[in-house]
Amino acid sequence: MIELINVQSLTTIQDLGRYGYQKFGIPVSGVMDEVSARLANYLVGNHDNAPLIEFVLKGPTIRFHSSAVFAVAGNVDVRLNGIPIEPWQSHWAKRGDVLEIGVLKSGVYGYIAFAGGILCDKILGSCSTYLRAKLGRALKQGDKLKLGYAILTGKEGRVLPEALIPRYSNESEIRVILGPQLEHFTEKGIETFLSSTYEVTPNSDRMGYRLEGPEIEHSEKGADIITDAIPLGAIQVPANGKPIIMLADRQTTGGYAKIGVVARVDVPKVAQTRAGGKLRFKAINVKEAQELLRKREFLFRNIKRLLDGEVRGYKIKALGEEFMIFVEKEK
Amino acid sequence: MQFKPAGDSALLIIFGDRIEEGINKKVHAVANAIEKASPDWLIEVVPTYTSIYVYYNPLKLSYQEVLDAIKPFLSAEPKEEKPRIVEIPTVYGGKFGPDIEFVAQYNGLTIDDVIEIHSKPLYRVYMLGFTPGFAYLGGMDERIATPRLEKPRLKVPAGSVGIAGKQTGIYPIESPGGWRLIGRTPLRLFTPEKDPPTLLQPGDYVKFVPISEEEFWELYGGEQK
Repeated sequence: MIELINVQSLTTIQDLGRYGYQKFGIPVSGVMDEVSARLANYLVGNHDNAPLIEFVLKGPTIRFHSSAVFAVAGNVDVRLNGIPIEPWQSHWAKRGDVLEIGVLKSGVYGYIAFAGGILCDKILGSCSTYLRAKLGRALKQGDKLKLGYAILTGKEGRVLPEALIPRYSNESEIRVILGPQLEHFTEKGIETFLSSTYEVTPNSDRMGYRLEGPEIEHSEKGADIITDAIPLGAIQVPANGKPIIMLADRQTTGGYAKIGVVARVDVPKVAQTRAGGKLRFKAINVKEAQELLRKREFLFRNIKRLLDGEVRGYKIKALGEEFMIFVEKEK
Repeated sequence: MQFKPAGDSALLIIFGDRIEEGINKKVHAVANAIEKASPDWLIEVVPTYTSIYVYYNPLKLSYQEVLDAIKPFLSAEPKEEKPRIVEIPTVYGGKFGPDIEFVAQYNGLTIDDVIEIHSKPLYRVYMLGFTPGFAYLGGMDERIATPRLEKPRLKVPAGSVGIAGKQTGIYPIESPGGWRLIGRTPLRLFTPEKDPPTLLQPGDYVKFVPISEEEFWELYGGEQK
């Protein structure tokens, strides 16, 4: 069991989301940055979907009431009993130990994963917190969380190689698949969208990020559509011409025209962009986006095997480009 | 029928370009057929007024392959069975419906007229969305159409029945909102402990039944302050 002894920002339990209930109006929710969250889970030997803690900017302070293996994902200072330790590595904590997590030096969302995952009462098949409908709640000081059973031996001391640590900058190029309501925009409007820089506003949260920048011109069809569904990363443009990127806690349906949908591999980049950060959009096609996703998942499978000790990883440089190669261990 | 990608993990099937019962029935028939078959590449389907979003796993099937895979379901036709009619007991006016007077005045009607006109039709549940359990209802009489509040309320209680333009609806959970509130139902429209978690299902019909404040508290399970 762990106890939260200091919580200073929105801190929730999340997994990869609540699927199958969008047709009832229930949002998917889940982690904002699946890359960081899944890597944190791999570091402690968990599967992808194990429930973990998500925090915004400032991490909590946690006291361990029993032995545990944990890992912190984020560009952040971490201390165990006052002694600095590294994020992106798994560590052993014993009863009475205190884990302090500082303020993220870049990015917005950080994660703490525990071997065995956090035990929770699933609601509609998921541990993801969705505050607006009171599915779960924000964690607060004094909360005690039970951890799932896991063999801890061999789970500590895992290190994510430097080259694989996600780096989030505050200026990103985001790849999008244009549509599905492109006919609601003029050619000029689409051109504006693809050639301008947009700034993330403070009016952004788990539901979506509102952007500031040049107005995107609608066609004679206007900004409103017959209400339809909203996929993850959908970019809605209401009548004011300013785009909104819909994220984990987005409503399931909406009535604004969508100019594009962020490629899934780039959703974490959006989520980790702070208010004031800048985004530019680049159009790619579905095939390219799906290929990028396949490549990422191939890499992820190998990272998991690397951390589980099933393969060795080497960084090589060829023709000026760096590659990570994974080699099976001899049995 | 029109097909479009909506990002790299969703296929959008469009059945029409207007809100109409026949189109919506076809939407639900096809969505149900896909869901019933539940192929392993399917994440979930979201039927809306005139379209279906088919969320799929692009690691299992490409967009082109999904286009082929859904073909057999597109011929699904609505069943000719009797639809479910869900009665929604509703207290009109008073503290439960603080905007009913405005709705009456705006349309040159009495409060009783508004209640009668609102509780008369059978409303079709075209889709659910927006918030958990929120039903998009069709069929409101335009004689009581009223624009939204200029400044939305910060807190609208769960169960509130409202009008926004030509639409009517029920707030399933407490939330901010700009609809003109004309009444409230004691029924719970969203119960996360249940599966399905919502009182209303797509394709249902809704009938508002006027009740007294006393009956409200009886159904609610005791008066609260």
